Amino acid sequence: MIAWLRRRFWRAALADPDFLFLLDEPPVGEAISLDCETTGLDPWVDEIVAIAAVPVIGNRIATSARFQAVVKPDRMPGAGSIKVHGLRRRDVAQGRPMAEVLPELLRFIGPRPLVGYYIDFDVRMIDRYALHQIGARLPNRRIEVSSLYYDRKYGKAPPGTNIDLRFTSIRRELGIPDLGQHDAFADALMAAMMWVQLRDMAARGQRLKREGRREATAAPLGA
Amino acid sequence: MATGFDAQNPPFDRLSQPEAEELRAAADIGYFAPGEVIIARGAAADVLHVVIKGAVEAREGEALQGVLGPRDSFDSRALVHGAAGEDFRAAEETLCFLLPGALVRRLIARNPAFAAFFYADVSRKLEAFAEARLPEGGMESVLRARVRDAMRHRAEFIDGAATIGQAGAAMAAADINALFVRHAAQTGVVTGMNLAKAAVLRQMPLSTPVSALAHFDIVAVQADDLLLDALLAMTRHNKRRLAVRDGDTFVGFLEDIDLLGRFAGNSQLIPRRIDAARDVAELAEPARAIQDQVERLHRQGVKVEVIAEITSDLNRRLFVRLFDLIAPDSIRAEGCLILMGSEGRAEQTVRTDQDNGLLLGAEVPQADLATFREAFSGALDRFGFPPCPGNVMVRNPLWSQTAAGMERQLRRWVDARTPEAAMNIAIFLDAVALTGRVGLLDDTKAALLRMMRGESALMAHFAHLIDSFATPSLGVLSTLMTSVGVGEDAIDIKKAGIFPIVHGIRTMALDRGIAATPTAVRIAALVAAGALQDELGRDLLGALRVFMAYRIATQIEAVRRGTVEEEALVRPSRLTAADRDILRDSLRVVRVFREVIATRFKTSVF
Repeated sequence: MIAWLRRRFWRAALADPDFLFLLDEPPVGEAISLDCETTGLDPWVDEIVAIAAVPVIGNRIATSARFQAVVKPDRMPGAGSIKVHGLRRRDVAQGRPMAEVLPELLRFIGPRPLVGYYIDFDVRMIDRYALHQIGARLPNRRIEVSSLYYDRKYGKAPPGTNIDLRFTSIRRELGIPDLGQHDAFADALMAAMMWVQLRDMAARGQRLKREGRREATAAPLGA
Repeated sequence: MATGFDAQNPPFDRLSQPEAEELRAAADIGYFAPGEVIIARGAAADVLHVVIKGAVEAREGEALQGVLGPRDSFDSRALVHGAAGEDFRAAEETLCFLLPGALVRRLIARNPAFAAFFYADVSRKLEAFAEARLPEGGMESVLRARVRDAMRHRAEFIDGAATIGQAGAAMAAADINALFVRHAAQTGVVTGMNLAKAAVLRQMPLSTPVSALAHFDIVAVQADDLLLDALLAMTRHNKRRLAVRDGDTFVGFLEDIDLLGRFAGNSQLIPRRIDAARDVAELAEPARAIQDQVERLHRQGVKVEVIAEITSDLNRRLFVRLFDLIAPDSIRAEGCLILMGSEGRAEQTVRTDQDNGLLLGAEVPQADLATFREAFSGALDRFGFPPCPGNVMVRNPLWSQTAAGMERQLRRWVDARTPEAAMNIAIFLDAVALTGRVGLLDDTKAALLRMMRGESALMAHFAHLIDSFATPSLGVLSTLMTSVGVGEDAIDIKKAGIFPIVHGIRTMALDRGIAATPTAVRIAALVAAGALQDELGRDLLGALRVFMAYRIATQIEAVRRGTVEEEALVRPSRLTAADRDILRDSLRVVRVFREVIATRFKTSVF
């Protein structure tokens, strides 16, 4: 009922009816892993400089069919953010305006759920442009890999457990290679890798050992 | 690691930059849950998998054949030949690149070096790999060089009736020091040294016809032969000069100085140093040179079977010279120096043992024998031949006795039916006679063959030695151990690969009464006799060479580090994915062959 209401409001708010497809029934077993690089961490001020979206179909990460764009921001990125994502003023100047990129991105994503690490931030960044251009926020379901990881690793953890949800910690724990961070495609790809593995572990009810997997398996053999 | 698969990782390093990019753009990534079958045995595959993380088991039925880890790819057979050889099953949470089969097949058709990785049979794969592997130091050109490239002396002909004086003048005019001599229907060679000796030492008149000095037993190579073959011919025949033919015509000479500097080992110079040695002490230097050239030739990229051939020729020459220098008259008259084991099969490169013995036609004075035994083995000790762990050497009275005594000994081993006795028989079967009364060995071997003939239980016992060491499943340990951080695995290439092939072939050769000792020759004879499938024969030879190639590398490494215990240990975790792949294929050949031997000789009763 609430979902229905929410959809009604969204439909009413949508300024451009071309994007009604965002409310369609998503194709079964498909999702999009999404990552943005930005000029900073404030969704109200900072701007997107790069976007990557990688489809996941079942257990297949379709890197060959990915969406990738460099975006030209209204204000050029400051020195601090260039250090993070490596996109220089010259690089983003080659980019395309968000007005051009966003419709392509939305058509690429369609009604599919969005997967990511702190996906809320990425979606909030995109929402700002979406509100401006189509009059509505992205209605897509969001899948947060860090919370899936939390469930596998810290779910029912005793109080006082030291919780570590850093991207690098998750990547290492799952044995996923470092593809080079802070590149939108690499980040989206690693998030997709995390998701397929965590989803499967959840389906099998398999948990990640809190004290660290290496010591746990070494013990019986070393004895 | 970039976001695509690693194009530095073989076999993808064979791709050009645009080809690698094309593949990278088309790659997807697949996730496989633990226990999930990725490719079933016998099934075709429309993608080539390259492991990103995790572990994939290759299984044949219940038997685990190997575990693939990051950078390993599978399954070329499912992709190219339409049927996977094994089940591939994820052992952990596994991610793989999925490279589209159609594109990979297109690249195979376009790029022969890349295609080599996908060949079905080990021998072709090995050849392609050997071609692609550049030797250290960028000296590979010498391996492909032809006789024509190095030959600096063209052919000049003179009639056999011409005089010494005329021949000398012709040589001076053409600035060469050998002439081809036409005499009747024959062609011979006369050298400046021949002329000088005739005139100076033998005081022959200058009007003597050169046909009287020329020698007609010409050792010739073809102009298009590899220089390496010329090196072999010079070493084997102890010639400083080879005649060069182009088809039926003599076109020039190749002299040892033409090769000097081209081959790092300069092994063509060693035979003369051996022959020139006037006492045992002077043999030490060429003996060391033989060992040194092994490492140099290996570094230069010379194939292991060629190194083994050159080394074996030189070692044999050394043993014969040593025998000549120290054998007392009694032993010289009655003795036959023999080589056994790997030396007998001409498959030893880096020295691991002595493997020699002595057969006597009749009893000789005990004092002579005792002195000779100690002098011979002691000299080899000093030359750097490690004492044989099995004590197979002249020093051991068991291996230096009368032929009649040896025959009785063989009889006792035949009757004993213990693994040790069977091993001794195997060692003796590989014997070759080097010098002295060579007929003694033939007679003793014939006697052994008579003892074994028709004894199927005995043959089964003998064949059963092949199971002395199990063939490991490559990678099982490596994955287990490295994932728990305990250590890494190592495969004893001698026990796991070389021994089963050598012994299985030796058993079949014994069964068929084939007298040859080198494994390659035995295989050829068995195939010719219809006792061994052609294809299996080729794969066995290919696999044996793979193992020998790994072994020589580990041996040289072991010698360098001074850790002889590790001389045959190969650590798969330190190999490239392509090397692991070919090692896996070679071990698979061994496994098939064990089954062939078990079925044929019914060793299953043990």
